Amino acid sequence: MENNVDTIIGINVTIKGNLYNKGSIQVNGSVEGEVKSDENLIIGETAQIKGPVIARVIEISGEVKGLVEATDKLEIHPTGRIYGDINAKSLIIKEGATFVGKSIMPGEAKAAAEVAKPREEVKHEVKSEEDEKDSIEQIADKMGFFSKK
Amino acid sequence: MYYYIFDIKKCKKRSLVTDIKNYLSTLGISGEFAYPSAAYTTEELVDLGLSKKYNTIVGIGGDEIANKIAAKLCGNSAALGLIPLEASSDLEDLIGAKSWKEAAENLRFRKINEIKIGKTANGSAFLTSLALDLKMPTEVTVEFKDFLVQAKASSLTISNFNPSIEKIGPDYLDLVLESVDPREPALLSKISNFFGTKKSEKINLSLFRGRSLRLFTNSQVPLVAGGETIAKTPQLIETSDDNLRLIVGKKSLYKCQE
Repeated sequence: MENNVDTIIGINVTIKGNLYNKGSIQVNGSVEGEVKSDENLIIGETAQIKGPVIARVIEISGEVKGLVEATDKLEIHPTGRIYGDINAKSLIIKEGATFVGKSIMPGEAKAAAEVAKPREEVKHEVKSEEDEKDSIEQIADKMGFFSKK
Repeated sequence: MYYYIFDIKKCKKRSLVTDIKNYLSTLGISGEFAYPSAAYTTEELVDLGLSKKYNTIVGIGGDEIANKIAAKLCGNSAALGLIPLEASSDLEDLIGAKSWKEAAENLRFRKINEIKIGKTANGSAFLTSLALDLKMPTEVTVEFKDFLVQAKASSLTISNFNPSIEKIGPDYLDLVLESVDPREPALLSKISNFFGTKKSEKINLSLFRGRSLRLFTNSQVPLVAGGETIAKTPQLIETSDDNLRLIVGKKSLYKCQE
């Protein structure tokens, strides 16, 4: 039996519902629901999860269909497959891994938003010839060019 | 002060009964002895001991007698002492005594550990483990508070105390399930393991923790504790609300994370 793991889901075992642990979780079977741990979540090669997974550190060698949220680190191994969005402070994707989704890093969201924002148009005030003529006459009038006549 | 319930069927030699009695006298903890029989069951003898105001009821025997006395004493101020005879190694680890002499010495020091016990809905109890008596891999469903576990299990054990698993809390039961690994035939796996060609990966083992669980199987399966069938599926299994005052030695391996 693995040490320091609160819950282990073996191969060929199906869980339906929400699994929450303060300690670490290791998944080698199937889960239909949320998997949440305050510590580590290890998703083995034979694992299939349909639902969000949330943990401090997440290691993925199996398949996840849903949001993956690691408050500390997320590592996707070569056999790992994620079909869903990622939210991780630190991210490692190994060669061969599959990831279909959007990735967000907390703290970097502002910078990402700025990059994504469309550039603002520079507005130039263009005056018509008539307007321009009026303004020259006004200035000349103020300076007394026409009153000396 | 001490009320001894002696399962003499566990004594291979008649002289052992006298040896134990003499040793308890030497330690200064002799008391009244009672023997379960057709006339008086273990449970009735516990009631008799409590009615006589004994504050320590001691079971001399295996897991079976220990579980029966534990079920009666849970929530009672009287303490449970155990002198193991042909008991499981888990029970010996729980009380911290590998021999009857060591256990008798522990009784003298009367170090008490308040623990929860495992209980079934029919009122039976287990101090260490309860196993599903499976003759072949069977579909099982286990219902916990927030989730459901479904598997074809080759073995399933629910432990209140298992020295190889650290409890996450005093009122948690540990469920260990061995599922059928579909990746390769069992025989091939055994051969490859024998020749050391494959690193042993026990990914067919599952571990779940819970205060309460319901166990279902397609057909009725016995639940065995201490070699005795104490219940059958479907069954509700949970930790006791009350504590049991158990006398343990310094070598007891009972520990919790909390």
